[in-house]
Amino acid sequence: MQELVLNQPVSTARSELVREAAQADARREFEERLAECGPLAYRVARGVLRNTADAEDVAQEALLRAYKGFERLRDRSRFRGWLVRISFRLALDRLRSAKRREQRDTLWSHPAHLPAPANAEDIAASNQFQSHLERALEELPEKLRLVLLLSAMDGYTIEEIAATVGVPIGTVKSRIFIARKKLAEKLRCHANSIKMR
Amino acid sequence: MPCEQYKNALVEAAAGSTTPSGELLAHLGECASCSAAFAQEQSLFAAVDSGLHAAANTEAPPSLLPRVRVALDEATAPRLRWVQPLVLASAGIALVFVVFLLARPHRSVQEEVAKQAPAIVPIPKVSAAKTNLETTNSSGSTQVAANHFSHFHAARNSTNLYAAASSNPEVLVPPDEREAFARLVAVLNRHSDVAAALMAKAPQKGVLVTADPLQIPDIEIKPLEGAETETSKGASEKQ
Repeated sequence: MQELVLNQPVSTARSELVREAAQADARREFEERLAECGPLAYRVARGVLRNTADAEDVAQEALLRAYKGFERLRDRSRFRGWLVRISFRLALDRLRSAKRREQRDTLWSHPAHLPAPANAEDIAASNQFQSHLERALEELPEKLRLVLLLSAMDGYTIEEIAATVGVPIGTVKSRIFIARKKLAEKLRCHANSIKMR
Repeated sequence: MPCEQYKNALVEAAAGSTTPSGELLAHLGECASCSAAFAQEQSLFAAVDSGLHAAANTEAPPSLLPRVRVALDEATAPRLRWVQPLVLASAGIALVFVVFLLARPHRSVQEEVAKQAPAIVPIPKVSAAKTNLETTNSSGSTQVAANHFSHFHAARNSTNLYAAASSNPEVLVPPDEREAFARLVAVLNRHSDVAAALMAKAPQKGVLVTADPLQIPDIEIKPLEGAETETSKGASEKQ
């Protein structure tokens, strides 16, 4: 019993050291993925939120959450898909709360429907059609939206999307098809602006 | 307007980004409106794809990764961030408390003793011998002046302690008389004869005091010089 008591601090210190070493390893590995996956998280968030500042916040939060759960992730090859889902979910949450806030403000001040706030960068980068498109994208069901966003991203193949979302390839294809059709239906009335592009 | 029966087929073909085949292809060759509608659908889907590509591939701001790294650093060591100021603050409070505890009793006891209890002050030991008197008195007065604090502190605990520690005789001095007593001690230090007179044994009652007879030396009376001149002058005048 006495020996156990004497050995206890040593084992605690050792386990502490092991834990710290594991943390350092996880941090190093996460840092290696950060340069690649950071922009990915941002793009997913930006595709949902249509706002640079909000997307940056969401991407940061998503990366932090991913880091906190990184040690528990058994299959590290699934990190990209995992991060995409976290970022997408967080962006949706933020979008919903922003909509609620917008509705509340609108009810309070009774103004006409205001366009979504955009900074100068957004304004310069988009035109009227882009704005309609992104609004139409917002109205898509979540499952369709995520798949469509990922399919529009550079370097994402159908197989990778299927692995990321966790659905069969056929399902990904059909979702992309349906999503594009729905978008086109919503945007058909803005066909005049298409000619401008 | 496209033909109603080919309308859905046109949209499906454009959405699938496939080239129409079979019956639809033949119809498009014949029907100008359906051909125009198909071209419009194709441009619509192309615009959608282009817009999606633009929306999905925006450049991440350069501040993102540094921000994330800072957040990761904070998340890695959250305990240190909170604990360190907490430890410092509590250590500071503990230090202040200890200093307060160490300082307070002396001051308060000194005040309490000064207000309530009479102080024990060693009085100078005065003896008949002058040298002895001076040394003892000087040490006594030093004790009164410099060791005030320790005497009060000792008096709080036990008067016997101090009495045992010091061989000097002691007196209890009330607070309002302390200053006057200190002055007296100073006077005694300066005038040892006064101290000796004060400390001299008082004559006991009932005992006859024998006084030495007063010895008055013979007084030699010299004649005044003025009177002598006057006398001689008067005598010469008389003569």
